[in-house]
Formats: sequence, structure tokens, C-alpha cells
Amino acid sequence: MDGIIEAISSFASQEPAIYYLIIGIIGAVVLSAVVNIGAMYVIWLEVKLLGDFSARYGPNRVGGRWGLLQIVADAIKLFTKEDSIPASADKPVYVWAPIVASMATMLVAAAIPFGALYFNGKYYPLVVANMDISAFYVEAALSLLVIAAFMAGYSSNNKYSLLGAFRGIARMISYEVPMGVCVISVAIMAHSLNLAEIAQNQTLWYAFAQPLGFGIFIVALITDLGRIPFDQSEAEEEIICGYTTEYGGIRWGLILFQEYNNMLLGSILLTLLFLGGWAGPIIPVPGLSIISPLIWMFMKVVIVLWFLIWTRSALLRLRIDQVTDLGWKVLLPLSIVNLAWAVVVGSYFA
Amino acid sequence: MAGEPMAVDYYIPLIIFMIMGAIVPIAALAAVKIIAPLKPSRKKRSTYEGGLCPVRDAKIQYSVQYYLFAIVFVIFDVEVLFLYPWIYVYANKALQQFMVFGMNNAVFEMLLFIVVLLVGLVYAVKKEALRWV
Repeated sequence: MDGIIEAISSFASQEPAIYYLIIGIIGAVVLSAVVNIGAMYVIWLEVKLLGDFSARYGPNRVGGRWGLLQIVADAIKLFTKEDSIPASADKPVYVWAPIVASMATMLVAAAIPFGALYFNGKYYPLVVANMDISAFYVEAALSLLVIAAFMAGYSSNNKYSLLGAFRGIARMISYEVPMGVCVISVAIMAHSLNLAEIAQNQTLWYAFAQPLGFGIFIVALITDLGRIPFDQSEAEEEIICGYTTEYGGIRWGLILFQEYNNMLLGSILLTLLFLGGWAGPIIPVPGLSIISPLIWMFMKVVIVLWFLIWTRSALLRLRIDQVTDLGWKVLLPLSIVNLAWAVVVGSYFA
Repeated sequence: MAGEPMAVDYYIPLIIFMIMGAIVPIAALAAVKIIAPLKPSRKKRSTYEGGLCPVRDAKIQYSVQYYLFAIVFVIFDVEVLFLYPWIYVYANKALQQFMVFGMNNAVFEMLLFIVVLLVGLVYAVKKEALRWV
């Protein structure tokens, strides 16, 4: 094992361009499979839990007792649907919107550490592009999804779609600033903007070290992902289906799928920033000790996903003016307070 | 290209990831072209508007209030951008040379910057620039 790591790191220092090219190709293939299959099971988890929360069974026919293959059946149905583009739509933009959404998701996936491997008393984070500023980069790339949403809404040439697109942009810009300030507060305490280092520097989970920032970040994350209670851009009771009104079949499926991809990546980001990442006791079994950080990471991410689904079924949708007011007049001042708290507490601990 | 990895090298995977992100949906759309039926008709391709024929074009002029929203956002987003380099100054003891009112200069300068922006936020709220239409 040591020899392999030695060889890889010496190759990386001699031929960095080729090394990152190979890492990029392997990572892109592996991660697009992991993220897409992960998103399928996030959808499954959501359908199943929503069933549980409202005292129904949820999927229980296709793929055994737990309905594990229900989502595959849904995907096959979407593939056989007619692909209809509205005559008055702006065709190139309409076609590119789901593709841009998918590109944005993959850009996030490139810089997020999905976990770590542990051997010889050291953690090796599993990340493709281990940038020094990955926290900043991921936050920027997460908000690219709203551009795809605006492309979809604007090009459809439908009044409901356009309203949904405008609402989506307003919602995103109201919560982008508090979210950025929360990431900065975390970076102040961790003395780093690298997500892997932030996860490893947490002796005390930042959810406990700065509870205010944790709360603000969760609200801003739910808003960024566009989920109830912040899904005004596709509020079905008000504006039909928001920016996806004119989308059908696989094109709609792709946009929906990217939302769940981003939900998965957002949960991983929350875990890394506030819940200690892959921190947890190493399981003292020879085979399991290497992947035990991955096991802890997986458990935390599932809990975060469960929480996101729970809020969806427990809370009601807010009005759009309430959403923007909450962002600008409550969360922004509170996030500045949290920043001051992080500076004071951070300098006390350091 | 021997030696330490350059900053540019870290971004090679990002280009590959972006291409991969485009390939997957394009492949899905190509698969749909092959297997899905296609019988377009004029009614099917019309825009949905509550079951009636659509009235006029949808590209309306939106309220100017929305534009104010965007302007305020740009101001505060730039504020956040200025805070990012400050993290480096805060984490690097060599850049903190003197004390002001018992705080080191990094903390004091950022405090001043944030106070000015908070005054701006209060002004924007009082002027109702952040009122949704």
C-alpha cells in the first residue's frame, strides 16, 4: 500500500498535467455513476419517507418489498415519453437548460470530498480537484443551478414559467449572501477554505461551535436547492409548475434529476462544513478500518437527507415576499452576528 | 512540466467533469430520439395557459423593483467576495502588525467594513428597495 502511494505521488509531482488528466477522466466516470445512482436513491428515499410521514406505504411493488426498483421503472417510463418542444419556445436555450443543469452538478461533484480512506494513522480524502478554495468554489457552483432554471423558464415563452424563473432568481440572490457569510465563518474557525481541511480541523463540530451559523446555513441550503418551504419557483398551486411547466418527458426528468443530485451534494457539503465530515471512531476491524470514515460520512449524509425530507413534509410553503424578507432582513444581520461570534470564539480557541 | 503542480493543473479535472456533465443528458436525449414515439401536432406544441389559447407573448416587462433587488444583491455579494481574502489575512499572523482599540488590525478593518455595509442595508430597507412587488 505504501509503495503504491509513493509511486502515485512521485508521478503526480513529475507529470502533474497528465496525472490530473487521468484523475479527471477516472473521477468523472466514477463520480457521474455515483452521483446519478445516489440521486436515484435519494428520490426513492424521499418517496418512501413521504409515504411514511403521511401513513401510506410508499413504493412497495417493483423490486421487492421496499420498492427498490420503482425509480428504475419511472426512468424507463420517462424514456418512452414523446419528446415535445413547444412551437413558440426559444429552442436552443430550451434544449440547453437541462444540459447546463447537469454540467453545474458535475462541477460541484468535482471539488467535493465524498469521504476519506484511513490507513497508517492518516486520512486520505477522496476528492478529484483538491483546490485550496474548494469551499468558495462549491458554493459558487451550487448556485449555477438557478441559471439553468432561468434558462428553462425564460425560453419556454410561458407566463407561468417566466414568473417561476423570476422568483427563482430573487430567492437565490436573497440567500446567497447569508450562505456565503456562513461559509466564511466556518473558514475563520478552520483557518482554511479547503473542504477536506475544514472537515479535519473540526475538533468540536461547527454545528455546536456556531449553532447560529448552522441554522442559517440549513435554511440557505434548502433555499438553494429549491425545496419546500422555499420552492416558490415551482409552486404548483400558484403557477402550475413554475419554470418546468413546458417541459415534459425526459427533459423534465433531467431537470428533476439534477435537483436531487444537488440535494445529495448539498447534504455532503453540510456534513463537511458543520458535522465533522468523516470524523468518527475508527472501527478496529482490519478490513473495515480503511473504509470506516466512509461509513461515518454515509450515516451523517443519510441523516441530513432525512432531515431535508422531513422539513418538506412538515412545513408549509412561504409566500415569496416572506422568503425575500426573511433572507435580507433576518438572516443577513444574523449571519454577520455569527461571523463576529466565529472571530471571537475562533481567536479564543486558537 | 516537471516539478510542483501548478494551479492550472487542478482545473484540468473540472473541464473533463463539465464535458461529462454534458455527455450524460445528451446521451439520454439521443436515446429518447430512438425509442420514443413522435407524432407532433399543432395543438400538442402550443403553450400551456390554463387550457385556453395563449394570449400574447410571455416575454413581459417586469417591475423595476426587481432590478433594485438585483442591484442590492450585487453590492452585498461583492462584500462577501471581499471577505474571502480577509480569511487569509486573519489566518496569517505575519499580516497582523498592529493593534487598534485592543483588536488586531485585521479584525478592526473588517469590523469597519461590515458596519458601513450594515448601514447600507438599513438604508436599503428603509427606502423599501427590498420590498417584493
